Order: sequence, then C-alpha cells, then structure tokens
Amino acid sequence: MLAAVSHAVPRTPASDAEVLEKLPTRAADSTARELTALRAAVAKAPTDASSATELAQRYFDLALAQGDPRYVGYAEAVVARFADPLPASLLTLRGVLRQYRHDFAGALKDFEAALALAPDYAVAHAWRGAIYLVEADYGAAQKECAALQTLGRATLAGACRGLLQAYSGQLAAAYTTLQNTLSLATDADNRLWLLTRLGEVAAWRGQDAQAHYREALGLGRDDVYLLAAWTDFLLDAGQPAEVVRLLAKWESADSLLLRLAEAETLLKLPEAARHQKMLVDRFAAARARGDTTHRAEEARFELRLRQDTATALRLAQENYAVQREPRDARVLLEAAVAAKDRASAQVVREWLQRSGFEDARTRRLAQASEAAGTDGGKK
Amino acid sequence: MKWRTLFLSVLLLLAGPVWAHKASDSYLVLDVKGQQLTGQWDIALRDIDFAMGLDADGNGEINWGELRARHAAIVAWALSALTLDRGGACALQVTQHQVDEHTDGTYAVLSLRGNCPSGAGELGVNYRLLFDQDALHRGLLRLDLEGITHSAIMAPDNAHQRFSADKPSLLAQFGQFFVQGVWHIWIGFDHILFLIALLLPVVLVREAGRWRGAGRFGEALREVLWVVTAFTVAHSITLSLAALGLVSLPSRLVESAIALSVVLAALNNLKPVVNKRRWLIAFVFGLIHGFGFASVLADLGLPQEALVLSLVGFNLGVETGQLAIVAVFLPAAFWLRNTGVYRRGIFVGGSLLTLLVALVWLVERALDLKLMG
Repeated sequence: MLAAVSHAVPRTPASDAEVLEKLPTRAADSTARELTALRAAVAKAPTDASSATELAQRYFDLALAQGDPRYVGYAEAVVARFADPLPASLLTLRGVLRQYRHDFAGALKDFEAALALAPDYAVAHAWRGAIYLVEADYGAAQKECAALQTLGRATLAGACRGLLQAYSGQLAAAYTTLQNTLSLATDADNRLWLLTRLGEVAAWRGQDAQAHYREALGLGRDDVYLLAAWTDFLLDAGQPAEVVRLLAKWESADSLLLRLAEAETLLKLPEAARHQKMLVDRFAAARARGDTTHRAEEARFELRLRQDTATALRLAQENYAVQREPRDARVLLEAAVAAKDRASAQVVREWLQRSGFEDARTRRLAQASEAAGTDGGKK
Repeated sequence: MKWRTLFLSVLLLLAGPVWAHKASDSYLVLDVKGQQLTGQWDIALRDIDFAMGLDADGNGEINWGELRARHAAIVAWALSALTLDRGGACALQVTQHQVDEHTDGTYAVLSLRGNCPSGAGELGVNYRLLFDQDALHRGLLRLDLEGITHSAIMAPDNAHQRFSADKPSLLAQFGQFFVQGVWHIWIGFDHILFLIALLLPVVLVREAGRWRGAGRFGEALREVLWVVTAFTVAHSITLSLAALGLVSLPSRLVESAIALSVVLAALNNLKPVVNKRRWLIAFVFGLIHGFGFASVLADLGLPQEALVLSLVGFNLGVETGQLAIVAVFLPAAFWLRNTGVYRRGIFVGGSLLTLLVALVWLVERALDLKLMG
C-alpha cells in the first residue's frame, strides 16, 4: 500500500540551493499576513468564538479557492481546539467541514444543533438543503429551500429551489428559477455558480449549454467545478481536442486530470499513458489514508480508461450509497450497462421513476441497463 | 462574512470533489526485531513548514539549505509527537536526513533507529504529529513486528494503537481455512451440481437398459463412497499441486472444463455410457475441480509459514461440506428411489435441468459471455 505512493529511493540533495518545494503562499503575501494576524488573535483569546470562527472560515475559503484539503484540516483543528459548548456559527462550520469529507450524518447533527441555538440561522438551513439534495431526499430539501425563502434570503433560496427542481423532474422550471436568481445576483462567485448550473440544466434539456458555460468562463475566475462541467459537456459532444487545450495546465486538479486523460485517450495522444499513471498514483494515495470521497471519479476512471467494468461497478455502487446526484447516477448506469448487470442499476432506475429526472441521456442509459444484462453479477 | 458565497461554492464542492492537492499524510515505516528498531518517516515539507516555519527567506520556496538548517528542530518536533513502547518507552533517534517525492510534493525523510526495553511482547504506537493543527492529518503506518506486517492509519481519534507480536495460532489458522473450505463447497454451485449429478443414479441400478431401485441401502452407500472418495482424492492431488505452485492452468480453461464436467455427468444420467465405473468420471473430473478450488485458495492468500497445514484445513473443509451434502441427499434419495417423483422428476428432470444450467455455464465461460445470473 505504501509502496504505491512512495515514488523513489530517498536522496540527499547535492546543493543547498536546490529548491525542494514551492509553498502556496509567501510570508509577504496578503493572505499569509492575514492568516498570521488571525492566528495571533486566536492565540491571544482562545475562548473568543468570533476570532476562532473567522480563522477557521478563512482556512475553509482557501480550501475552496485552491482546492487544497490541507486547509480543511487546519480549519477543523481550529474548531476542535475551541472549548465546548460551541456557538451556532462554529457548530455550523464544523458541519460544513464534516460534509466536506462526506460525513453527512455528522454534519446534519451539527446543523440541527446550530438551528436549535439559532432557528433563523440561514447558513445552516442552506447547508442542510445542500446535503439533502446530494442524498436525493427532495422532500427534506424542499423544507430547507422554503425556510430560506421565509428568511428572505432570495439568492440562497433560488439556488436551492433551482437545483431541487432540476433533480426532481422539472428541468424547465429549474431553468427559469436559476435565470431569475441570476438576475438578482451581482456577486461574481454567485453568478459563476448559477451560470454553471444553467449550463448543466440546459445540457440535460438537450439545449445549447455553451452560451452559459462561456459566459461563466468569461468571468475570468479559475474554477475547477466549472471546468469539469464544461469539459464533460465537450466530451459528450465529441470535442476532446478542445478539452485537451483547456485542461493542459490543470493536471494538479485530479478531477480535471481525469477529464484530460479521457480526452487524450480518445485522441490517442502519447500523454494519455502518463496521465493515467498519475491518476493511479493519486487514487492509491487517497485509498492509503482511508479516503473514500473520490469513488465516483475513480469509478469513471476504471470504466472509461481501464475498462475494468467489475471494479468500476463496485466503486460506482459504493459511491451511490453515499451520493445520489445525477452524475453519480450516470456513472453507475454506465458501469452497470458495461458489466451487463441489470440488478446493480435498479436503485438508479427507482430514483428516476421517483424523481422524474428528465435528462434523455440518463433515461436512455437506464433503459439500456434494464435491457442489456442479467440479474446479479456473479456466476 | 461571505456566507452566501461560501454556500454557493460549496454546493459545487458537494457536486464534485475538487482535490487539486491531497490532505496531509506522513508515511511511517517501522521494523521491530527484539529490542532493535529501525524505520523511516516521511513528512511533507509543507506540513513541517506549517508547524514550525521553514521558509527562512520568505520567498515561498524551501530549498535544501533552509531545510538542513532546521534539522535539529525537526527531530525534536517529530520525536515529541511519536511514542513507541515495548515493555516501556523505546529510545528513538534520527540517524539520517534525506528527501523524497510523493504524489503531493517533497517530503523530508527521517531515518529512525531505536532501542526498546523489552525484546518481546506487543508494540504500542502513540502518534500525535500535527493533530492539534491539522485535524485531517493521518499517519500511515506500516509496521513489521517480528516478521508480521501490520498496516494502520493513525488519526486523532485513533492515535494510540497496540500491535500484537503473536502469530495467529496454528490451530486458528487451520480452523480458518477449514471454514473457508466448507463455505466454498456450499457456495460453489458447479461443484455441488457435479457431485449431485454423479450421486443421482447411485440409488438406482441399471439392468438390461432399464433402471431399477437399488435393493439395499448398503449397495447405494458403497457406490457413494467410491464416487466421493475418487472425487476427493483427485481434487486433493491437483489442489495441492496448484496451491504449492507446482502446476498452473489458465482459469478460463479450468472454469470451462468444470462446466463441461457437469454437462457430461448430467448427460451420462440421461444416456448412460459409463455406468459401472462412475467413480472414474469422478476421479478424472475431480482433477479439474481441484484447480478450481486452488484459485479460491490463492485468493485467500496462503500463509507461507503454515502452508501445508492451511492446505489440509481447506481440503478437509471441502470434504466435510461434501459429506454434509451426501448425508442429506442419500437417505432421501434412497427412500424415494422407487417413486415416479424420483425416477422422472428428480432423476430425469434434475439431470435435464443440471445439463441446461451447465451448458449455459460452458458457453459463458468458454466464450467469456454472460447469459445468466
């Protein structure tokens, strides 16, 4: 297990000047200075909830901006060091950090505790809604969207409702909701999010998604999820060359490295083999630390790049037990069709039946999974 | 507070994992023999920098000179976060500083040497590195304790773990493989069907092209003993040869041949060719079934230090499972042997059904298709 993640024999650098590592920040950077000040404030007043919340949240913002989970660990340590009882803000933040590593049950408990202390705390409602959407519990998500509406948080409520409608068989209504919400949103981060979702909803409706994605890219912000959604659209549209062009500099982001390797494999480019090897190493490193949050992408990797349908199906099933969004459904359907295993995709067909999710591709895959295979994978 | 932004961007995160970098891990490899301890500890430079600051000139890069200047401090910091005990705390020292690359960057590599008060008994590992600063940090431990390898993930809620130096007792290993043997014959439908196909006619006697019920139970029992013994002897031979690595066959060939054996055994009931010496079929095809058992055993992983014992345990498990099937089948079959239900329904119908199932297996396995669950 460790052999898989250790690359070479240890070495002794030849010169003191040899650069070994580039840090994410320099001491003089504004971010570094800000963090130093926040850390000092927490050290000075360890029982002050607001400075602890501020530091932890700053770390978490950095994790999101840079996609770097180390900052999530730092944030969690800040919360863990704070003496009980936690106030609503820190409880909510702890829940947010827990959901980050897919501890949805733990996160929901924290949000519930936060709302018991502060029933009008919109953030906790918003996060609960997000988790219920991932878990495909649309009734519960609906209540959180309504709570946000009641609290007068129009953008949050619109984002919540738009996603809920998209997942539960009302793509046209979702599109309208997201567009209306976009017209309210002035913040670039919010616009980027809403445009990305509009792109996805348009693609599910079989309409032109490009305009939305291009507008989002036009905001000029690096965003891993936007690039992932956009390149997925391009891969589905048979434009792998465009994907290679867009993602050439993104091999550090594993979800994008996956799309890059897929495109390179389709184009039979020599880089494909090296990038596949990198993915194997990174999945192994995650597995070694007991991290199971990347199973959806690993399933796709096994299915599309390694043609190991049995492993892909197992991973897609394990992922679907935790996360049940459309992309999780799709990879499970694709794996079940490839493995000719009708039974494994039953949960997804039931979800489609229940939710009424309208994407034609997903529905075609569901039909194929019903028709192609046999029950059970074992001889 | 940018809660709104936070919510929206994290909906994105929920929707798809973003892990441009990976969470913090250190890799701790320990080898403990008697009182002597050697090891290697790889800790990310980024983590060391976060804990104690390495970037002396503040240029955002760490070079070998900056790292070398802090070696003593790194040793003090790291060793204060790791306690090993065997009959008391082991004295630890770092004998060499190097570097290595992992998937997420460059790591400092500390070579460890140590001495424990006791040369026997379990080893305790108490790992606390970085936990107070990075709650997602994990210590990935691979410990070789007196030749037995343990892997563990050290985490804040699992920071203190103890590892046993005792090998699992031979009896426990034997028992474990025995149970696996029983289990495998019960879930291995192809083996059961083969056996049943051979056993269906033992309560009948073929005379002048017609079946009649066997006269005495002993007659049927003798026939069963011949068949079961031949099957057992044959698959024991090939199971042992394959498990010891002396012979190996491609699994597709083995699986196909096993399916073929069931086809032929069922056919022989419907249109008898071999009648008197059914044990010969059992023996010849038993050789093939042995290779099938061997592949299961290979998946279980035979412990090298108790190879033969485990092999015998597994084999005896298979026999026991087999005898249990016979013990249920034989009295019932003997009791029913003169009825139409047995003659037409079970004997002819059962053989036909077996034939059909085995034919599907044969096609699936030979052509690598999947027709049936």
